[in-house]
Amino acid sequence: MSNSTPKIEFENVQKVYPPVKKSGEPVEAIGDLSLALEESEIFSIVGPTGCGKSTALNMIAGFEYPSAGALTLDGMPIANPGPDRAVVFQHQSLFPWLTALDNVTLGVKCRGMPKSEYMAKARELLNAVGLSGFEKSYPYQLSGGMQQRVQIARALISSPSVLLMDEPFGALDYQTRLLMQQLLLELWIEFRPTIFFITHDVTEAVFISDRVGVMTQRPGRLKTVADVPIAKPRTIDTLTDSQFTEIEHRVLTSVQEEIGTIGLGASNSDRRTT
Amino acid sequence: MAVTTPVDRTRNTSRAAGGSASKGSVSMLRRVPLPVISITAIAILLFIWYLVTNLGVVGPRQLPAPQALFSQFLTLAENGYQGTALLVQIQASLGRTLIGFFIGATAGIVVGLAGGYSRIIGAVITPIMAFIRPIPPIAFIPMVVLYLGLGETGKIVLIVVTAFNYSVVNAQAGAAGTPIAYRRAAATLGLSKFQEFMRIIVPSALPAIFTGLRVALALSWAVVVAAELVGAQKGLGYMINNAALLFDIPTVFIGIILIGIIGMTLNGLIGVAEKKLVHWGGR
Repeated sequence: MSNSTPKIEFENVQKVYPPVKKSGEPVEAIGDLSLALEESEIFSIVGPTGCGKSTALNMIAGFEYPSAGALTLDGMPIANPGPDRAVVFQHQSLFPWLTALDNVTLGVKCRGMPKSEYMAKARELLNAVGLSGFEKSYPYQLSGGMQQRVQIARALISSPSVLLMDEPFGALDYQTRLLMQQLLLELWIEFRPTIFFITHDVTEAVFISDRVGVMTQRPGRLKTVADVPIAKPRTIDTLTDSQFTEIEHRVLTSVQEEIGTIGLGASNSDRRTT
Repeated sequence: MAVTTPVDRTRNTSRAAGGSASKGSVSMLRRVPLPVISITAIAILLFIWYLVTNLGVVGPRQLPAPQALFSQFLTLAENGYQGTALLVQIQASLGRTLIGFFIGATAGIVVGLAGGYSRIIGAVITPIMAFIRPIPPIAFIPMVVLYLGLGETGKIVLIVVTAFNYSVVNAQAGAAGTPIAYRRAAATLGLSKFQEFMRIIVPSALPAIFTGLRVALALSWAVVVAAELVGAQKGLGYMINNAALLFDIPTVFIGIILIGIIGMTLNGLIGVAEKKLVHWGGR
């Protein structure tokens, strides 16, 4: 481990946004983030709202840049977005004017992959995410869970080495979310990408990850990192496994402490009494 | 039925006209399909028109009776107006409008999309268009006559300018309003700038473009009639202006009705094209 370059590495990364108003203060989203992700690792980040989780993901994607520090992919600084780092967004980012199949193939088609090749890949992936028969459906004809499956197929078609997921299952109901988490682990076993996963659901984070990082409130830093040494694939039985619940409890406690420091605990109990 | 809970009661009134009289009539009206209500309203209006003209409440000089208009319409359809067939009059106006609209709207959409995508082009056209747009297109008529004369070119140029002005704004707003998630997705998918423009920005702007086209076409149609009031030899605008000078009131009315019907049809055609091309609507 020490002699190989990490897949993704944050070294003392800081991100400061300019003030919204001229008279305002600059906003420090990320204070000092240092983190290394290994090849094919699944790493989740949980933390209070506004702690800079999404900012960290956006920087790996190449949508935003660190204000200070270094962020590298395979040892090289990240300059632009690219198909080697596929993104699954929380909100609908499928193109509504394209069918499920066309959404999946758009990127590889535009980059010049031969039609026979990308059609075969797309059908295989849509089958893998359980959407055979929905190739010609438009996004608005699909349920929320199905739309996220299309997004995952679209992300995987270019065989990315990194999969970035920004609360991808946040808008789904509990049952669908459980299914999607298991589907993600199955796909990981098949394709082995490095996954950087943002969520505020601690159970979800522990269930899918090799490691779970807890971020502090803004300006975000990495507070604790919990190892999840449970074999994959994991099933719903894992959720009641004592090792699982112990880790889950530890992470949850760490997150609660963070939320507590911004006084949300107090206002929550206030609300409960009214 | 002797004792009913409130729930039972609402269910009953929506199924059959029961309960108290006033509540019953309201729920009955609610069950009538809306198109039936619309058609009834038009029929009542026509009937009032028929009554006031045939009972002599208003004279034929002020408002011709519907049957007088109809017989005059048949005469016009048969003999034309001032030696020119009615269909040719319509063709003249419609031809000018459509030629001008296609040129102006195409140019407007291209310039607008470019302005919405490129901040620099946007900075160039925004203040210019902000100045030109509030000027009513008919204000350009004297200038167009001065530079281009009374012929076809002047009228078409006027329509081109009108259609351009009103399609630019919406195309620009549509392109600039492309959701950031779409642009980020396009970037991670590895689309080139040109591919992003053609495959993401253009379709994303399509609903806004159609909004602009509706306004542009409606105004082009309005402006062609206005332009024909000045020195045209045929066209619906010429027809109503000439007929008014000759106190031929029924022909004026028929011209106005035709202008209305054609305008409505043009708007409907845009709606059909929009439904087909923007099948996802606002979703």
